[in-house]
Formats: sequence, structure tokens, C-alpha cells
Amino acid sequence: MAEAVQVPLRETEPNWDEYLKAYYSKPSSTKTWSGYEVKEFYTPQDLAGKDYEEHIGDPGSFPFTRGIHRNMFRGRYWTRREVIGMGSPADTHERVRLLLEHGSSGLNTIADITYEMGLDPDHPWAQNEVGLTGVNIAHIRDMEVLTKGVPLDKVSWSLITASPVAAVTMAQYVAVAEKRGYDISQLRGSIQNDPIHFRYCGFKPACPIDLSIRLGCDVMEFCTRRMPKWYYTTVNMYDLREQGLTAPQEVAFGFGIAMIYIDELIRRGLKIDEFAPRFTFYVSCHIDIFEEVAKIRAARRLWARLMKEKYGAKDPRSMQFRFAVHTAGCSLVPQQPLNNLVRIAYEALAAVLAGVQSLHCCSYDEPICLPTEKGHLQALRTQQILAYETGVCNVADPLGGSYYVESLTDKLEEEILKILEEVESLGGMEQAIRSEWFDRKLEQEAVERQKEIERGERLVVGVNIFTSEPEKQTPLGVQRIAPESAKAQIKETMELKASRDKAKLREAIERLRRDTVEGRNLLPAMIEATKAYATTGEIMGTVREAMGYPYDPMEILENPFK
Amino acid sequence: MTGPGERSRKIKVIISKVGLDGHDRGAKVVAHLLREAGMEVVYLGMYQMPEAIVQAALEEDADVIGVSYLSGEHLVYTPILVEEMRKKGLHDVLLIAGGVIPPEDIPTLKEMGVDEVFVAGTLSQKIVEYIERHARRLGADNASSQSLRETGGRCQ
Repeated sequence: MAEAVQVPLRETEPNWDEYLKAYYSKPSSTKTWSGYEVKEFYTPQDLAGKDYEEHIGDPGSFPFTRGIHRNMFRGRYWTRREVIGMGSPADTHERVRLLLEHGSSGLNTIADITYEMGLDPDHPWAQNEVGLTGVNIAHIRDMEVLTKGVPLDKVSWSLITASPVAAVTMAQYVAVAEKRGYDISQLRGSIQNDPIHFRYCGFKPACPIDLSIRLGCDVMEFCTRRMPKWYYTTVNMYDLREQGLTAPQEVAFGFGIAMIYIDELIRRGLKIDEFAPRFTFYVSCHIDIFEEVAKIRAARRLWARLMKEKYGAKDPRSMQFRFAVHTAGCSLVPQQPLNNLVRIAYEALAAVLAGVQSLHCCSYDEPICLPTEKGHLQALRTQQILAYETGVCNVADPLGGSYYVESLTDKLEEEILKILEEVESLGGMEQAIRSEWFDRKLEQEAVERQKEIERGERLVVGVNIFTSEPEKQTPLGVQRIAPESAKAQIKETMELKASRDKAKLREAIERLRRDTVEGRNLLPAMIEATKAYATTGEIMGTVREAMGYPYDPMEILENPFK
Repeated sequence: MTGPGERSRKIKVIISKVGLDGHDRGAKVVAHLLREAGMEVVYLGMYQMPEAIVQAALEEDADVIGVSYLSGEHLVYTPILVEEMRKKGLHDVLLIAGGVIPPEDIPTLKEMGVDEVFVAGTLSQKIVEYIERHARRLGADNASSQSLRETGGRCQ
């Protein structure tokens, strides 16, 4: 038997005043995250006068407040997708395979900064940054490596390219699928393709508004006609929220941007019920669980009414607000990093309680580095625990009928509508963007969110409450991108450029230029150019120049085809 | 109550992104809050290469350069930035960095010649206090950065 160890009593007294303060502490604010005061409790009175069928409805029925499926997760769990993108296409492929081996149910790859900007790896601005934040797909061979061995007609692949370069991503994916003999009408998956919002994520030179609308809608139109199973846009209100917006602002401005695309598709002659069933959104789930659930329920009701009343949709599928959730990266902090695991779990819970279609959980190390293997796996495990252990999936819209959640849903809906009206009074979202009103709004909100933290009105453990000495080591290590991957990609791109059939390439580039000038849908010419080994930078540059923008968004390279 | 003489003694700060990284929410907020704390801030915005940042600091006669890194590019651009500062003789200009930076890299950045690193979640008061204590205009103790940048940083 081990000897009992004598623990010496501490000499110092605890700080009893601090203890008493902790014992008697209570919330310093009873506002929601977005700043709405809430009551002590809610009663049937708060829902008085609201007709259940008309205002709420069963899950799977108009106005879809309670979800788009009657049986929700009993039919199928949400898709557990973790965003993956790092280093070379081969590095990214490897991480995709790892997560698949561990039960990931959807593939989800994200482009790096250089690719989103439309720069080839050998561009002077790209050389230091290739692969740092995602994967660069310089040409068709990169897409072949990324998708190697994947049955493209069976899996659902989510391609995260948001900028106008999404059109090239789509072309590269289709080109590879066609080369492998797939019928592209059978391809399933989604592409982010929301170039308008992406100007607010640091990509303004790559996202002039006219180019954004044109290429964004070219992808939407092409997929509607040729790839009916493909979700051709994921309007990214998540990214807007990450800039510091409140919950209702996120939805209102997201809807504003969505309507720019819808109006253009209708102008092109598509019928709302032809394309709307494949319209999807990317939504944030921040840390205020009930407000996030209420936000999503309100968004569903509003979207259904908007599609029915404003756009005259008849097909119920057109009225269903389909969305993926990204837990809020900006809610995570590097201070006391393991706390992030808990934040992510709460946010994921909110997404599931709100009836999410597809979920990405952040890795706990997101405010420190790219996800490590362990961080990535933990994010996937967080989803699996929710799905397989907690029982929250048994019943559709479990919070429906809660006096509080229904009231908060009404409140959020009212606030979203107010902002939509404000945008309308400015001449619509496109005008609010062109006049830079929205730029100013975002900056103002970002500063305000930080001040709320600095004034102690918004509490973040480890930042302005329960702080501790910074940790010197990241608990599960740090993800590094091997510089060799970038160097190899630069070299391969340069070699490919030197070895192509020049005549065939020129012909394809010329067709692309002509189609741009003559206003045709650019996807067919982009697919042909991709097959002729045109690079991403060359395809984008050709389209840009033909539309009157500089060939190179960084304004360094000249058009090599002149 | 500040007279014209005192106003010219305001601490002048350059805030910039480096390279292609477009995560500018933090940089803009820091620029705003330093301004509110009484400093003169020149916000260079996105798509700045080290040469342009140093050139701006020179032209503006800045006391502090603050760079924001959120895409893992800090170890790539910092040595270039420090070398450029050394070449242009900005020995007594304070260099601070912020953003998404692993704690493991902070000593490395300091060895390269960064004076201080403020990761995400830092309250602005801490940054203000640091600058006020160390910026040259108030005759502060910035011996560490001086010696490092005069020798071109330890990583040279």
C-alpha cells in the first residue's frame, strides 16, 4: 500500500471577498447578444393573437418556421462537413481522406487567398502565400489531384470558392468530371459562388460589382440548366456576421445580396421555380443559443414569404430556406484556447436545434493557426457526439412552441424587416454597396462590438473576465504549411505553362474573350479553356480585361495573349 | 487642452495589412481605437508589401508601425519588413504585430525584431499603454528594438 502523502496546508488565506462576490454574482446584462432586452419569463400571452398554422406551421409546411422537413433528422442527419484547405492539392486531398476515414459525411474544400484573388502561384504577389489558408487550383491537373479516386457522381462535394473565380472552380470541376466520363447532370454538391459579399472579406480588387453579378449568375444559370442536382450558390451571410454584424443584420444584408442574384436570374429569363429550389445560404451560429435559433427560424419564415409574395413562387421547395452553418470563428479567442471547444459545442447545438442542413464546426485552434489534424478531428467528433449521443435529433424543432423562443423569433423577424426596409429606402442592396454605405456600416459595427467588450458590457472568458497568464504553448500543437508545397506548385505551374499546345490554348482563350464581350454565359468557354490547360489566372484575366478591368487584379502582370 | 506645439507631439502610428491577407476587421478597429486614444493614425489598408509600409513610415515620420497578420504569413513577411526598416534607418521606430499568431511564434518574431505582439482578444488599452510607454516621441525605453534593428535582427 502506498503511503499517505501529507499535503501541507497553505499559509495564505483565500480572498474571501472574491469568493463572496463570485457566490452572489448574477448576470450584469439581460440583453441578447444583439442587444435586445428580454423579460424575466414568457407566457402564452406573448403569443396571443398569432395563428399557429399561418404564423408558425408544422415542420415541413409553409411558412417553414419549424424547418423544411417534416421528419427532420429522422430522415437523415445533417451533413457533417469540415472545411479543409491547406498547402498543395495533394496535402488537401490527404486531409479530406483522413476526415472521411473518421466518419465525415461531406467533402468540403476551401480555396486559398491567391486563388480567390485569381492569381496563379507564380504571380509575384502569390509566391509567399500559396496554400497558406486553403488550396490553390492553378489548372486542371490540380483539380485532378484534389479529386483523385473520388466517385464524383456519388459524393456531395462542397467547393468553397466565393469570389468570381468560383466560375473557374466550377469549370475545373466539370472539366475533370467530363474527362472521367461522368454525366454532369448527375453531379451532386455545392459551390459557394457569392462574389458580391466577398468584396467585404478583403477581396475587393477581385470582386468588382458588375463582374461579381455576371460570373456569379453565369454559374447559377449554367447549373440550373445543366446540373440540376447542384447547389449553385451559398449566399454567405456568415462572413458578413464575422465582420461584426448583429444577428438580424446578418440575415437582412444576406437576403439583400441574395435578391441581387435572384433579380438578375429573372432578368435573364429564368422562372423562379426553375432555380430557387437550389438556392442556399451559409449562416453563422454565434454564442447566444436562443437568439441564434430564433434568428434562423425567423429567416426561414421570412424567406418563405419573400419567395411566395415578392417573387410569386408556387413550388414549396422554392420557399424553403436551406442553409449550412459555420460556427462563429469570431467568437473564439486564443486566450485559454481549450475554452473554444465548449463555445463550438454550444454553437453547434444551436445550429442543430435550428434544423441545420450541413454543419462545419470550427476547430478550437482557429484563432491561433490553421486547423491541426487533432483540432480538425475534434471538431468532427463534436458533431458526432451531438448526432449520436445527445438525442437532440429525435424531434423536429424541439424549441418550437416555447413562449420565449417563439417571441424572440417574432422579435428577430421584426428587426430583420426593419433593416430590409432601411436598405430599400437607400435604393436597394446593390445601391447600398455601390455607394459604399455598406462599407461604412460594417466598420461602424465592428468598432462598436469591440467597444462593448472594452466597456465590459459583453463578457468573454479569458478576455475581459476570468483572465489568466497567456499560455506559451498551443495545447495540441500548431499547424504549419510546408514551404516545399508552395515551391512545388509554383514550379509545376510554370512547367505546365511552358509545355501546353499553344495554338489550342490561344483558340480557347480567344473564344472566352469573344463570349465575354458578346455577353454569353461563360461557363462553356471556361470549361473548354480549362481542358486546353489555361490557368486560373489566365481565364480570369481574359474575362476581366474583356469586361474593361485590369487583366491582373494586382495590376502588375500584362495579358500574355496579346 | 492641447496647443499647436503639443499637437505635433502626438504619437504617429502606421497601421497596415501585409501581402494579400484581407482579414482587416482587427486592423481597422485597432486604428480607430488608437485614434480615440489620442494618437495620429495612418491606416494603409490592404495589399501592402513591406517596402511600401516602410516608405509610408518614412514619409509620415511615424513613431510606430503596426502590422496585422491573420493568414499565417507573419514568419514570411516579418524578416523582409525588419530588413527594410534597417535599410531605411528606421532604428527607433517601434514595430508591433497583431492578429492570429501562435504563441510558439512570438519569441521567434521578437528575435526577428518585432517589439511586441498582440494576439486576437487583446484589449486596446493594453496596446495604448504599451505604445505610450515605448514610442520614441515620449523619450521611452526602446533600446531592445534599436539594438536589434541596428544589427539587422538576430536572424540575419
